[in-house]
Amino acid sequence: MDIGPIFRAMTRNKLGVILIALQIAFTMTVIINAIFIINERSRLMARPSGVDEANLFHLVSVGFGEGFNEEIAARDDMEMLRRLPGVANASVVNAVPVSGSGSGTGVRLTDDESSPSNFTAIYRVDEQAIDTMDLDIIAGEGFTIGDVRNRQRNSEAVSDITVLTETLARDLFPDEAVNDVVGNTVWVPGGIPLQVVGIVRQLQAPWQNNTIERSMLVPENVIDGSSMYLVRSEPGQRDRVMAEVEEALVAANGSRIIRDMRSLEETREGTYRIDSAMSTVLWVVIITLVFITSMGIVGLAVFGINRRRKQIGTRRALGATRPQILGYFMVENLLITGVGVTLGAVLTIAFSILLTTNFNMPAMGWHYTPLGMLALLAIGQLAVWGPSRGAARIEPAIATRSV
Amino acid sequence: MLKMIDVSKVFRTELVETHALTDFSLTVGEGEFVTITGPSGCGKTTFLNIAGLLETLSSGQYLLDGVDVSTLSDYQRAKLRNQKIGFIFQSFNLMPDLNLFDNIDVPLRYRGMKGAERRERIEQALEAVGLAARKKHVPSQLSGGQQQRVAIARALVGEPRFLLADEPTGNLDSNTAQGVMELLNEINDKGTTIIMVTHDEQLAQRSQRNIHILDGRIANPVLTPLKTPGESTAAMA
Repeated sequence: MDIGPIFRAMTRNKLGVILIALQIAFTMTVIINAIFIINERSRLMARPSGVDEANLFHLVSVGFGEGFNEEIAARDDMEMLRRLPGVANASVVNAVPVSGSGSGTGVRLTDDESSPSNFTAIYRVDEQAIDTMDLDIIAGEGFTIGDVRNRQRNSEAVSDITVLTETLARDLFPDEAVNDVVGNTVWVPGGIPLQVVGIVRQLQAPWQNNTIERSMLVPENVIDGSSMYLVRSEPGQRDRVMAEVEEALVAANGSRIIRDMRSLEETREGTYRIDSAMSTVLWVVIITLVFITSMGIVGLAVFGINRRRKQIGTRRALGATRPQILGYFMVENLLITGVGVTLGAVLTIAFSILLTTNFNMPAMGWHYTPLGMLALLAIGQLAVWGPSRGAARIEPAIATRSV
Repeated sequence: MLKMIDVSKVFRTELVETHALTDFSLTVGEGEFVTITGPSGCGKTTFLNIAGLLETLSSGQYLLDGVDVSTLSDYQRAKLRNQKIGFIFQSFNLMPDLNLFDNIDVPLRYRGMKGAERRERIEQALEAVGLAARKKHVPSQLSGGQQQRVAIARALVGEPRFLLADEPTGNLDSNTAQGVMELLNEINDKGTTIIMVTHDEQLAQRSQRNIHILDGRIANPVLTPLKTPGESTAAMA
């Protein structure tokens, strides 16, 4: 193959080659890091929350009438909802996963406030919540109706037991088997001890940071003027049940309003809307960059071929076959793209280190860079294929023409 | 041996049909030095293109070393060009981005020759045209005469049976042209068949045989050579 002469000829026309190689390098840097960010976002968005999202919905009941008793209303509502056809279970909760809104607390292994704590989401729920959420208890047990305590907003915790997620249990007790965590005591601010009575496999926090898998449940009913209800329908009946629940609640008590009724899927979609939009924008950037770079490669190839039509004819006259002319331009592009992707690999890694160091991004997998190089090389070859075929069709007789 | 029998070449567009060669018959023997003359547009270059397998013929028969080339594929014609024909062009047609060594290397690479053999042949060819010391130079660093000598070296490096020259002295001054003609005569003396298109009647008279073309036909169907092979060098001296 003519790699040596092609490379030497390229070095005499540096500017065009350098510009297109830089464009390829820049494109590669952007698209690889963008794809990594998209994949990372997609991975985070696709994480299961641990609850039965497909059949859950939630709403808020806000009392306004004189004599409205939140505690009694919630108790009556739960009794009524759990009897409704199509409702698998219902609970009073203070927050739902992936909603972006909830409560958090530091949890310690001692009552010493200066000792290290693990931040965790705290779900204040009734005794049915573990079943309503369809959580998987892997050790110990859940709550009973006798465990549930009422508390006023902003008052200290009044419960004395808790259920932890497996991740929180392992973070708090790294040296113990999950089963052995049950029976231990943990402390929350205010020097309040909570005995661990159970461990659930997973329950994501309402937020999307790196503590998302840490959650604890305590059997408490917070009296603060409004109650959040979480309802799980029988499979496939959610949308019908949602409408019926709203009607039933309105009919049951006219001293309150029902608002913010949403399925958990809608809640997830709303929470991750910015991430989805960012992924879409990044895809547009990727496609645009690939298109522009491809056009740049095509443009350089067409320009180079038109400038060298007589040379191509001469090569044909000297015995070059059509495949050899095609191969010449494919190899030429491979060399240009090769320079670009090599430079791009360095830039990609440098940019990835920058993101990891300054923006707390996870490290990019090693395979992204070589795959990106191969993709850009393939794009370059595809882009130059058409112009190269055109070059191969140039007739050798052009060598003897004076213009 | 090159033999054309009733060869015709017609160029067709949607509006015009041009008969570039009509019933053109010619035989060029081994080791001959034949010049082709004629006014502009008479069909000289078309003849050269057909003889050099750069264009196909519309009708007739063309035998190159006994092979009927009209039936060959584009690929086979390219291989035959590479192995049997050397070209010298009026404007040299060197690759401006390649140095002299790489320029002369072009036909050898298409032949798939090994590197060591290519290197030896290129060194010899450059030596033969007196440019061995300038093998790393690019064409733009040479004079016109030197560039044409490089083109001759490129044409000869593959040791072709036929050398086709299209106005090889057309872009050169008379002294340089004389040097190029002497070089061609030396090549012919060593047995290479040369067919040269030229406008220069004086140069034509010094070849062994001159074919004059008018309107795509041979105007002087001389069947006997002007000079016998081997006489041309003496005639030029």
